[in-house]
Formats: sequence, structure tokens, C-alpha cells
Amino acid sequence: MQLAMSGGRPDRTPFMCQMSIGHMLQQLNVAAADFWCDPRVFADGLVRLQRQYGFDGILVSLHGHDPEWRQNIRERFPTDGGESIRWNDGSVTFFPLDDLPHHTPVSEPEPREIDPSLIPKEIDYIPVSQGLHFHVHPKHAFDILHRVRSLAGSDVAIHAEVTSPFDYFLDWLGHERGLMVLIDDPLTASLMLKKFAAGVAVIADGMCREDIDAIKISSPFAGAGFLSRSHYEEFILPHERTVVEAIQRTGIPAYLHTCGAIGDRLDLMKRTGARGLECLDPPPIGSTDLEEAFRILGGSMFVKGNVDPVNTLLLASDAQMREDVCRRIALGKKYGRFILSTACSIAPHVPKEKILMMRSIVEQDQPRKRTIFGKKAVHRHDT
Amino acid sequence: MTPEFDELQTALIGGNHVRTAEMTQSFVTSGATPQDILEKGLLPAMQVVGRRFRDGEVFLPEVLVAARAMKSAMAVLEPLLAAAKYQSKGKVVLGTVKGDVHDIGKNLVGVMLRGAGFEVVDIGTGCAAEKFVDAVRKHQPHVLGLSALLTTTMTYMKTVIDTLRSSGMDVPVIVGGAPVNAEFAQQIGAAGTARTAGDAVELVHRLIPQA
Repeated sequence: MQLAMSGGRPDRTPFMCQMSIGHMLQQLNVAAADFWCDPRVFADGLVRLQRQYGFDGILVSLHGHDPEWRQNIRERFPTDGGESIRWNDGSVTFFPLDDLPHHTPVSEPEPREIDPSLIPKEIDYIPVSQGLHFHVHPKHAFDILHRVRSLAGSDVAIHAEVTSPFDYFLDWLGHERGLMVLIDDPLTASLMLKKFAAGVAVIADGMCREDIDAIKISSPFAGAGFLSRSHYEEFILPHERTVVEAIQRTGIPAYLHTCGAIGDRLDLMKRTGARGLECLDPPPIGSTDLEEAFRILGGSMFVKGNVDPVNTLLLASDAQMREDVCRRIALGKKYGRFILSTACSIAPHVPKEKILMMRSIVEQDQPRKRTIFGKKAVHRHDT
Repeated sequence: MTPEFDELQTALIGGNHVRTAEMTQSFVTSGATPQDILEKGLLPAMQVVGRRFRDGEVFLPEVLVAARAMKSAMAVLEPLLAAAKYQSKGKVVLGTVKGDVHDIGKNLVGVMLRGAGFEVVDIGTGCAAEKFVDAVRKHQPHVLGLSALLTTTMTYMKTVIDTLRSSGMDVPVIVGGAPVNAEFAQQIGAAGTARTAGDAVELVHRLIPQA
């Protein structure tokens, strides 16, 4: 994995997918609320799935779990399709068995002022999805990374995750309002993004003090489904560059995760300075042709992804899937710096056999030699 | 586009909602009929926005500010159109299916449909099949649109269609969302799907021949 990320020649194509929370729940047979909230259950689940699928790395997509989270529960009760928790503040979270939680606050929050000064210097939440935040406990912000490393050992790469400044910005103002502010008041939008970038950089810096191998910057709203190239250049690039620089000055590589259509902006993404790109959804979900992406990136960034999680993994026949995966492995070997992965997350109801088939294709191609990850790795700072 | 409405259309396409509302009021004051302002001024301008969006010339922020400008103009015109018993091109009910809270795609389709002259009733996110049945019964739409972002929730679209049919409702149903494709739409008995919001408008036009 490290060699693929740094431009060396790995013994075989590294293999590591990110999984949707729904897929993890479907495979693990644990209570959804426990998996979401409890650091022990979450860490244990991530490592079990890494071993089940033979991934070369683990993405730790949440951080800041409160070990005393159960003290905040007023009531826990089964509901159709999962279970719900009523918290001490009166809000309710529904935990489905195959999806992210749905949170219902006591009252809908008031729209925020468009004012950079209101943005806190220290960010203590992850804007996971529409209306869903994950609170980061300040005293346990990165404990989960340590826990996963302890369980996984040094044979496995550990990737942490931060959320892009633009995600925070859209979450702060509401998606539609946030997008309109880019046109109505671009200067203020830039100032707000700058503040979020500084906050995310602090989080990333904290992560880099842990025993991790890379940080993914999750930026799902930066593709052509949302923004023009010029808006990308104005509102995404400088702020993601801030985060990338904060990470990479520690010697840890950063990579960008933008789903959907990014084929028209690979050159701009390259200018963030990130070491790699994740997703690269192929048509019809996205717009990236893998070979063209390799040519545009010119060997300067590693590529992780490009296997369609819906049309290849969920809907295609085994033969079609094998063909899709083999084609990508062949291109990866031709151009280098490739990590085999689903473009976006493995969808909840993808059968585990499909992922195991991906692994067997990789292993048939070339068996793996042992690699050491984390702080025990000797060549991390050469990357 | 009609030359007399050039300036109004430029304001709308540029997303200047204040100017769009002012000019709409000015046309009303000067004696233009609300139908003409709508059909010769505003709707063609929104069609330009829709076409540019489909062709990748403009993106979501530009569409959203244009839609806001359209809304500001409609705030001026709607009482007058209602008084004149103006008929929209057709009525569409939109909703995101049960288990799914995502609404960006649905909202965008709503924006584009309104901009094309359709009446849109948005029943929100996380809608159970019974809520769609109730909405169809209440609003009698020409088309029902179902949205889902997730592979886990797209399967519920079939539940909605089956429930509608077993309730004796034959309203055409269109489906949309990142994981949805034409094959899936056909399998579950939908009348069609569209990759983009602009394509959704064309699909609705095809399903409502008089539109």
C-alpha cells in the first residue's frame, strides 16, 4: 500500500475498499447504535471486516467517540427496521440495520447568519450526512485511531478521515443556501471556508500525531454534479490545499475523496498537492475513465477506486464483475500508483462473496509479501 | 426568447431576484398580461437555464439563484394568474422514499419543473407508500416522482408503485437518484427515469402530452 501511494512498485495491487455503515452493520451482526456510538464495538468491527475481506488497510471514518456515551441515553427501544434512542436532551436517533442513523432534534435549528465570525475555531463535530452530526469528544478525539491500530497490528495500513471545509460550510448554512452564497457573496463564502479549513487542519494535525498511514479528505460536494470548475478553483482548491498541507507537512499522505463526476477537474484536484485521489466513479455514476485519469495525473498522484459499487458490485454478473476488476488491475499495473477499491462505499446489500471475489482476483494475480505499516514502517517519511 | 422581455430574462438567468421581481412588477403595472410575462418572459428564461445546466454550462449554484429569481417573480404573478384561472402545464408530486432523508436531487427536480411551468407539490423526505397514496388522492397529479439516493432505499420505490396500483391508482411514476437506472425503472414498473434534473423535465413533458 505504501509503495503504491508513493510511486514504488508493490508486490501486488493493494486492495482496500471503504464500506458504507450499512454494509458493515449487515456483515457484523451487532446493534447499530453500539456500532455507531461505542468505540470498542466500532474498532472491533472495523478490524473484523478488514480480516474478513483481506483488505490491506482500514479506513477509520469516525473519530471522537465518547466512551461514556451510554450515560446520555434516556430510553432505548426497538423500532421498525432497527432501534431508536431517546437521549437525555429529548432528541431521538433512529438506527436502521442497514444505513446511517437518522437524527431528529428536539426542535429544528434556526438558519445561521452568514457571518464568518460565528464559526468556532475548534470544530467538535463531523457533518456525516444531511441532518446527522457525529460529536467529537474533546478528550477522546483520536482514541479510536489508537484502538484500531492496537487491534489491527502493524500489518495493516490505518487511514483516518477528515471532512472537507466545503462540507462544513454547506452543513453550516444548509446545502441550497450555501450554494447560493457562493454567487451572492463570494468574499464572505471564502472567509467562512478559510475558517473551516483552519479548523479541519487542526483536526488533521491531531490525527497525524497518532499511528496512522494516511488521511482521507472527504469532499462529496466538490464534483461537477454541484460546482463548476471555476467555483472549484475558487472555493474548494485553496481550502483543501490548506488541509493537505497541514497533513503532509507531518510526512503523512493526504488523499481526496470526491464522488460523482470529477473527470473534468482532475487537474485542479492535482493542484491541491494531495498525494492521491479516491473514488473516480466511472460512468454512469461518475465521469472518470481510469486510463484517462492516469494520463492526466501523470504518475503524480495515487489512485484508489474506480470500481462501480452499484452497477458492478451490486447489479452485475460475476463474469462482468471479474472483467471490470481485471481491467482495472491491468491498468493499475501499467501506470502504477493504484489501489484497487470501490469508487464510493460498498453498498449495504452487496454480498460479501463479491468482495471476497475481488480479493481472490487480486491474489491470483500475485500473492502478497508482508509489509509493515504505521510508526514501525521504515520508509514512511520517504513517501 | 421575446425581445421585449430581454432585460427581465437577463436578470432571471443571472439570478438577480430583486431585479427580476422589480421588472415583473413593472411589466404588470405597464399593462402586460401575467400570462405573457410568464410564458414569453420567465419560462423561456428558465428553459435557457435548464438547457445550460444540462449541457454543463452552468451548475447548481447558478440554477438555484435563477430559481430564486423565478420564485420572486411568481410571488408577483401568482395572485394575478389565479384570478385569471391560469392553468399550469401539469401537476407533479415529488417525494423521497421511506428510509431516505436526502433531498438535494428531489429539490433540484422541483426547481426545474417549476421553472418549466409545472405545478409541483413536494411532500418531503422519508415518505412511506401510504403518504404517496394520500398525496396522489389529494392532489391528483399528472405525474408522481420518487427520489432515493441510497441502494438500500431505492428498492422501496417498488413498494410505493405496488401500493399505488393496488389502490387503483394508475398515475405515471418516475424515479430518480444516483443508483437508479433505466433497467431498474422498468423492472419496478416506473414510467421512466432521468439522469439529470433537466432530463426529468423532458421526461415529464413526454408523459404529459398536452404540456
